[in-house]
Amino acid sequence: MEQALVNGLVLGMNYGLIALGLTMIFSLMNVLNFAHGQMYVLGGFVTYFALNTLGVPYIVAVLLAVLALAAVGLLFEYALFRPVRKRSNREESTMLLAAGTALLLESLILLFFGEKQRGVPPVASGVFEIGGAFIPASRVLVFFVALAAIILFMMFMRYTRPGRALRAIAQDREVTALQGVNIQAYSALGFMIGAGLAGLAGALLITVLSVNSGMGTSISIKAFIMVMLGGAGVIPGAIIGAFVLGFAEAFGYAFIPSSMTYLLIFVGLIIFLIIRPQGVMGKPWG
Amino acid sequence: MTPTRRKALSFATFALAYLVIVPLVLSGSPYMLGVLSMSAALSVIAMGVWVTFTIGRINLGQAAFALVGGFTAAILTTRFELSFWIALPAAGLVSALVGVVLGLGILRLRGVYFAMITLSLSETMRLALLNGGDFTGGATGITSIPVPGELSLFGLVIIPDFAGSHSHLAFYFLSAFLLLASVVLVWRLMDSRLGRVFASLQQGQELSQSLGINITKYRLIAFGVSCFLAGIGGAFFAATQQSIYPGSFVASDSISFTLYCFLGGLAYVGGPVVGAFLLTLSFQFLHDLQQYQQLAYALIMIGIMMWLPNGLLSLRWPSWGRKTTSPASGETGNVQ
Amino acid sequence: MPKKNTVPLAMALAAMASLVAMGTVNAQEKVIKIGQLGVMSGPAASWGLVNRYSAEAHAAMINEAGGWEVDGEKYRIEIVSVDDRNDPRTAIAGAERLIYQEGIKYIIGTNVDDTTQAILPTLAAGGAFAVSYGHTRSLFETPNDNTGLGNIAGYQMSPIIYKFLVEDRGITSVSFIARNDLNGLGNRDAGVEAAKALDLEILSSDATYETGTTDFFPVLSPLVRANPDMLVLSGVAPSDAGLLIRAARELGYTGIISTETAHDAAVLREIAGEAANGFISQGGASTPEIRTPYVEEFMENYESVAGEWNDEAGTKIYALEMILQTISAAGTAAITDVEAFKAVIPDVSLENPFVIGGEPRLRWVGADWFGHPRQVSVPVVVNEFQDGAFKTLVVTSVE
Repeated sequence: MEQALVNGLVLGMNYGLIALGLTMIFSLMNVLNFAHGQMYVLGGFVTYFALNTLGVPYIVAVLLAVLALAAVGLLFEYALFRPVRKRSNREESTMLLAAGTALLLESLILLFFGEKQRGVPPVASGVFEIGGAFIPASRVLVFFVALAAIILFMMFMRYTRPGRALRAIAQDREVTALQGVNIQAYSALGFMIGAGLAGLAGALLITVLSVNSGMGTSISIKAFIMVMLGGAGVIPGAIIGAFVLGFAEAFGYAFIPSSMTYLLIFVGLIIFLIIRPQGVMGKPWG
Repeated sequence: MTPTRRKALSFATFALAYLVIVPLVLSGSPYMLGVLSMSAALSVIAMGVWVTFTIGRINLGQAAFALVGGFTAAILTTRFELSFWIALPAAGLVSALVGVVLGLGILRLRGVYFAMITLSLSETMRLALLNGGDFTGGATGITSIPVPGELSLFGLVIIPDFAGSHSHLAFYFLSAFLLLASVVLVWRLMDSRLGRVFASLQQGQELSQSLGINITKYRLIAFGVSCFLAGIGGAFFAATQQSIYPGSFVASDSISFTLYCFLGGLAYVGGPVVGAFLLTLSFQFLHDLQQYQQLAYALIMIGIMMWLPNGLLSLRWPSWGRKTTSPASGETGNVQ
Repeated sequence: MPKKNTVPLAMALAAMASLVAMGTVNAQEKVIKIGQLGVMSGPAASWGLVNRYSAEAHAAMINEAGGWEVDGEKYRIEIVSVDDRNDPRTAIAGAERLIYQEGIKYIIGTNVDDTTQAILPTLAAGGAFAVSYGHTRSLFETPNDNTGLGNIAGYQMSPIIYKFLVEDRGITSVSFIARNDLNGLGNRDAGVEAAKALDLEILSSDATYETGTTDFFPVLSPLVRANPDMLVLSGVAPSDAGLLIRAARELGYTGIISTETAHDAAVLREIAGEAANGFISQGGASTPEIRTPYVEEFMENYESVAGEWNDEAGTKIYALEMILQTISAAGTAAITDVEAFKAVIPDVSLENPFVIGGEPRLRWVGADWFGHPRQVSVPVVVNEFQDGAFKTLVVTSVE
């Protein structure tokens, strides 16, 4: 029981980190970024590469991963999503474009980083025992770094000028444009932040979870679940969704036959969404 | 000549070529016949996704319904030893029935919510079949599914036994028949009153409601047709592979079916067909690129999305698939 | 600017000339084409890629040595690889491509049960033979005569590992965890049976996890609490093993962790580090204690093809060797006729070129399992991971 509680907490924080970037991009551009999982994986591989080949300290590797992914996000937005949004007369085109970029990233990662599972040594070693539950120090560290990142991000969104502009765009694109906010520039910024957060998640979690080139899609699907649960495009909603999924998984595996765990999670999600399509915190219909 | 007659004529020409000339030319190449059969059956499933697009829904659950169809056909032919020719329509109907029951709940959702709930459905069905125990065979699925047998009516053989020496041609003709029949079905549907109702559902439900249309009923019809096509396709693959597993159709297949519709063009009945053939064939022909195969495949997808965002068929040509009511301008997603 | 233009032109001409020259050389040379069909993209890409790199590295060695001899004539070995994306439909298309377009009779692959099951009708219709890594017994039983098993199946490996651990380490209880898919669950069921046969107490056998799980704390916590003497990772993919081991140790588990699949020491070292010490798994022909210089040369070749050695390739070296040896035993006819190939299967028996001492001999085994000999005699090696490398514990055969 204590272990399940701790597991759920740690898992929820990891998931929250993953869901954050996805919901950011979604809230701004209505793009369900299918490539989010692949971006996460790329973040992990960049960290691995920086540590092992460039030999930089871990903290620098994390920064490199965030910057590299922000650059990828900028490139995607500028070279792919913007032209398609302009030329296509239906919104779904961008969703399918995202599916294409997921495949593109995945094949590039396979070509450059190979097919093997990659991990880096944990930054902290040792295992804590709290009330009969075990938590490795590395996870505690990731937990607090993730928490700090999430708080910083929320503060950025609430108290800085660009953050407020981004939230305004998410709320009403047209009205914000009328107020003279440069929508295009902020869209690019939003994409960079979203992708950068995926990179940060990858860079942090590779120390405890490791990555391989093909795991992106399943990460994306899990992230979709969290975002739907919490309410699409609502940042606190994504965090709630992440913790709900984390606890559902932790308690499911602890108390019911584990092959049923994800089946019940999916059935529960479908029933929940039928009753409350906008998720926990979403506006009706998005 | 009226547009309808011109369409009918060009469709007939295409059907003739596909049924006569292609098999004549390719009869010596089982590989090409196999790839074309696969493309045709994938088109049938993708056409279902296209039908749900016409009511303004992005359907990412088609893999679930292909699984239902495949498992229905497998269970009927192995456990109940029914003929494939009974199991095939039964698979479509069971799949449609499951679709209608689920549709009662989920069709109220729209935009990205409907897309996500159906994507979850793809995973749910896989996991449910995996936990299905003896009924579905669990992880080991159902194997040793017989190939379609002889179909005779009053002693007259209409379709010979597929176990003969020309099984490639037999499956080719079966897939071709399913493809052409589905195109005609969907096309007739879209040209009928139903098609216009679907289009109006897409334009906005308030409008339809004000016209006194029973929205729920028509949505269920469209979704039922979609699931029927998925079930038929699933049954076809169960028969060609002679086996089916919970992992035979997964979430990424659902995404592929939607991609086919997009790449072909959402405004055209022929869109999913063109998309399915293009992507299936291009993956095969890119084989010589070896490790760059997947990369090139992804670039083709992105390229079409970039330069032909409204689909390949939006390149103008004397088209047999041009729809009378174009949903291209509609706000399908309805996501703010 | 004559210089600027002539240099590329000359180079292009030279390249064309050499291409033509190569073409004529190739035309004179006799070739045996071997197909390799497997998953080389997506989440399971590493399975098929290891096969591909192994086949290519091995073929390069054979060709460098002058080719493969059949009835006194030398043949160059050409590997044709096709990606099946782990999808039965694409696997059928791939098999048909190899058989009908490339005229290939012998295929290495596929990697898993459902893709192999899907290509069975194609193999029968096209008269081709596949050495598969799917493990279900029915795949290799009559009437499925055109398939052979290329490595050791979980149901063969588990009894050997458990028996060793009962005798050597005195274990009495066991828990299982499996990936919730065909391979994982199949291996788990076989493991449970093997454990029952040895009168081991089974504390838990219904734990599974979904494909793509990265955090194994939740699923492992209840298992570790029961504290079995041995924790079996059933059919675990190389990508998951390191994480499972590390999570189990971090949860305070101190018993033995084992699996019946083959793993890569570098991956374990990187992901699990010291936590992987004592991990028991299947080993290939690559452990230093048993490998011949030929294998070491193969490892170098593999490295130049793949960029990095992978211990999993140790068992994957056998498929190509076995196909070619059987063709040689049957004579020229077998190059184009699988029936001639199958006819000599019971008679093939040679020294194993990959294992010091040549034992167990290279032949087709598995009659006890499949009703007829259809399994490559890969030696059954039990490994223990110790400080970054594998240590060989047991070498035996499936018979």
